[in-house]
Amino acid sequence: MSVETEEIIEKARSPFAEAFEMFRRNHAAMAGLIVLILIVLAGLLGPFIYTGDPFEMVWAPFSPPGEEGYLFGTDYLGRDLLSMLIHGARVSITIGLAAAFLTVFIGITVGALAGFYGGFVEEALMRFTEFFQVLPTLLFSMVIVALFGASLPMITLAIGLVSWPAVARITRAEFLRIRELEYVTAARASGVSNISLIFRVILPNALPPIIVQAALMVGSAILFEAGLSFLGLTDPNIVSWGQIIGSNRPYILDASYTVTIPGVAIFVTVLAISLVGDGLNDALNPKLRQR
Amino acid sequence: MNEEHLLRVNNLTVRFPVKRQGGGLFGKSYLYAVDDISFEIKKGETLAIVGESGSGKTTAALAVARLVAAHEGRVELDGEDFLTLEDAALRKARAKVQFIFQDPYSSLNPRLRAEAIVREPLKSLTQTSKDEMSAIIDRLFEAVGLRPEQQQLFPHQFSGGQRQRIGIARALSTQPELIICDEPVSALDVAVQAQILNLLRKLQQDFGLTYLFISHDLGVVQHMCDTIAVMYMGKIVEYADRLSLFNNPQHPYTKALLSAVPSVDKKRRAQAKRVLIPGDPPDPINPPEGCRFANRCPIAEPNCSKSQPPLRDLSDGHKVACHLV
Amino acid sequence: MSALLEVENLRVEIATRDGVAPVIDDLSFTLDEGETMSFVGESGCGKSMTALAIMGLLPEKVGRVASGKILFNAEDLTQADDVRMREIRGNDISMIFQEPMTSLNPVYTIGEQIAEVLRRHQNLSTQQAWAKATELLDAVRIPNPKARVNDYPHQMSGGQRQRVMIAIALACEPKILIADEPTTALDVTVQAQIFDLLRDLGRDTGTAIILITHDMGAVAEMAERMIVMYAGRKAEEGPVDQVIDHPRHPYTKGLISCVPHLMATLTDERPELTEVRGIVPSLKEFGRDACLFASRCDSVTDKCRTHRPEEVEFKNKQRSACWFAESI
Repeated sequence: MSVETEEIIEKARSPFAEAFEMFRRNHAAMAGLIVLILIVLAGLLGPFIYTGDPFEMVWAPFSPPGEEGYLFGTDYLGRDLLSMLIHGARVSITIGLAAAFLTVFIGITVGALAGFYGGFVEEALMRFTEFFQVLPTLLFSMVIVALFGASLPMITLAIGLVSWPAVARITRAEFLRIRELEYVTAARASGVSNISLIFRVILPNALPPIIVQAALMVGSAILFEAGLSFLGLTDPNIVSWGQIIGSNRPYILDASYTVTIPGVAIFVTVLAISLVGDGLNDALNPKLRQR
Repeated sequence: MNEEHLLRVNNLTVRFPVKRQGGGLFGKSYLYAVDDISFEIKKGETLAIVGESGSGKTTAALAVARLVAAHEGRVELDGEDFLTLEDAALRKARAKVQFIFQDPYSSLNPRLRAEAIVREPLKSLTQTSKDEMSAIIDRLFEAVGLRPEQQQLFPHQFSGGQRQRIGIARALSTQPELIICDEPVSALDVAVQAQILNLLRKLQQDFGLTYLFISHDLGVVQHMCDTIAVMYMGKIVEYADRLSLFNNPQHPYTKALLSAVPSVDKKRRAQAKRVLIPGDPPDPINPPEGCRFANRCPIAEPNCSKSQPPLRDLSDGHKVACHLV
Repeated sequence: MSALLEVENLRVEIATRDGVAPVIDDLSFTLDEGETMSFVGESGCGKSMTALAIMGLLPEKVGRVASGKILFNAEDLTQADDVRMREIRGNDISMIFQEPMTSLNPVYTIGEQIAEVLRRHQNLSTQQAWAKATELLDAVRIPNPKARVNDYPHQMSGGQRQRVMIAIALACEPKILIADEPTTALDVTVQAQIFDLLRDLGRDTGTAIILITHDMGAVAEMAERMIVMYAGRKAEEGPVDQVIDHPRHPYTKGLISCVPHLMATLTDERPELTEVRGIVPSLKEFGRDACLFASRCDSVTDKCRTHRPEEVEFKNKQRSACWFAESI
């Protein structure tokens, strides 16, 4: 019997470690990641460094950026825009993450059960998914917020409820594909239970496209929240980027910066998330990697 | 009953529901992938099921291992009906029947280290302590020709042949008596095939294993197996020991199959009467009433499409399902 | 008379993460009109790459012909521009691939796909092209061609699709047909049908065939001459019968004896198969001044590890790139 190659001993590298290596070599994605980290840090640490109540009137309304030391100027109530932006970052990112988490949680559960069990279970769950998919998303979330009040959790729930079908479909498709692969059969031959098959064997292998989808979901949740706030469907006691834009909307021609600056913040954040999502997609997609 | 038979399969049938065209919402019909087959394997020997794609050989293997549900039939392992076992008894029996898969690229979970892959059946099917497991895994890696430090690597870091070695180590981990090899070398490069085939034969001798060997490659089957069952469209059409099947094939399909294999042997090429069979197998959802090979058979007579030929014993266990032999 | 196809010192390089690797390294051979030649070797040895280089279909930006000539009727294809190559590909050299399931476009009928080729390359009218398409289907032995010409690819079996691929490849009566593992995805009885078809077509139309395969048996049945490729280099070349009878390269020897062949009469003896240990070296090793088979060879010497063997030619036209070819 023979040992196949006499090459130097390789180091164990998990598929995820290789994907990370690939991600690191993607400059656009790394730039997006760095921007994202800066924004998250700003939201987390900003309020402690740049103290000041975002709701407090600090100076004359509509003072342009830079005046009296206020970097981004003040809004129509004379509130410090920089302070609002920093506090708003917290809210926007929290909502983005929470909604994405909710989306992934519901999506994976439904998709995994449908894909794994097939048959009647799949039929029922997928019809249920389609029901949510055909609802007009903005209208549906407006109804939820209008009925149950515009609190942060309700907004998150509304966003989550309208976005999970996409994740469910991806998860189901991956499960359908992977459950036919021989290593799943091999696990069954080894007597692995169904729960283990779903969560320990199939799910880890189905994760890559779900992770990509989840990352992009954070971006779209932020946009969604901005849209709702813009329409005034938001908690007036918290600052979010969309809400800044919404409340300053009447003055868009006189003090355009009050709308542009939070707009740019949203744009940059969502762009950064998209870049990271794209980078993850390239890194996790085995077709782009050599076997 | 003959005691030396490790595995006895009787009247095994596997069917899959298919959506019939124009059958309405509830119009269900079935595809009989494996249709009433029986065979047996003696301890320490190798039985091959050969056939082309769609013959049902892989489905038969999966059904024997209880990885697809059989519709009818008995699978007797050491005198016990494997198909009716439950829970603890099933786990114990599963440990005795292991599987080697065709595609070494999809048969190993890419997220697990080699060592964890081999450990899986031990963990789920046996009550082995952690230290013992590690010792067993060490021995298995050596037995299949892998280095100990390779235990920590992930599947994509191995070549195809090495991956198949991991698959073999996994199948050996629970000290099984029967190993079902489903086309174990057909996804490998020719030079690597020899390494794996030699390994399988050596392991058979060392551990006294019994193999159920599924293959479409008659050269490999000739080398590995003691008894051969030829399948066509879910049925066994010929069943014989190695020498009589290869030197004295009886069923026209077997003859065609054998003559279709290209050979490097000049003598064989010279003496081979090429039996070319035209066309493709008929639609498996609506198989013909009579002999399923009749529409392609070079010697078929009108009677052949009327009734199905039973598998008859010609002499000394050489069985054929043909009206005209 | 010069040969139909003459490949001289061909070197094809592809770019990898670790630099440039010669996937074909100093390959020369000739192909005569109407001849059937076979390329054998394991995957990754440069068989398919040779075919792609002849067709001018090397993966763009990754692979390129670094040096050497591919002379087709004395015209150097490595210098031909895209327009000329497209002409040649349609009319003079065509190719069929391993996977008949994916090489046909699923949204067109097979008639449309064959007729399309004929219209483009032979300026036939739609009607003429359609009539010729039916003829071709008949030529590749598809029963009831008049009806099947309107079928979509998914309505045909794998063997039939491969026949359609052959029909398309033969549509313009090429001088050379390159068949890259044409039967690997097919059952053995279907393989026998396809081989029969190729053999007859080669004889009837005078098309030269290059058959790329890993199956020594297929080579023995189909080809007159063969080239054994290893790690981008020619290991051995010669008339098929002579090479199989008496291989002059240890790799060829290994390839023949590592497979359990069906012989004329089977006996009770089942000797252990000869192993070619190890695997094909990685691309990083390609191009070294050494015998690349050295790491897997049983009779390796120091010379093999440090010098690339020169080709030795024997009286019977067998050529081997091994330092010890004479003594094997």
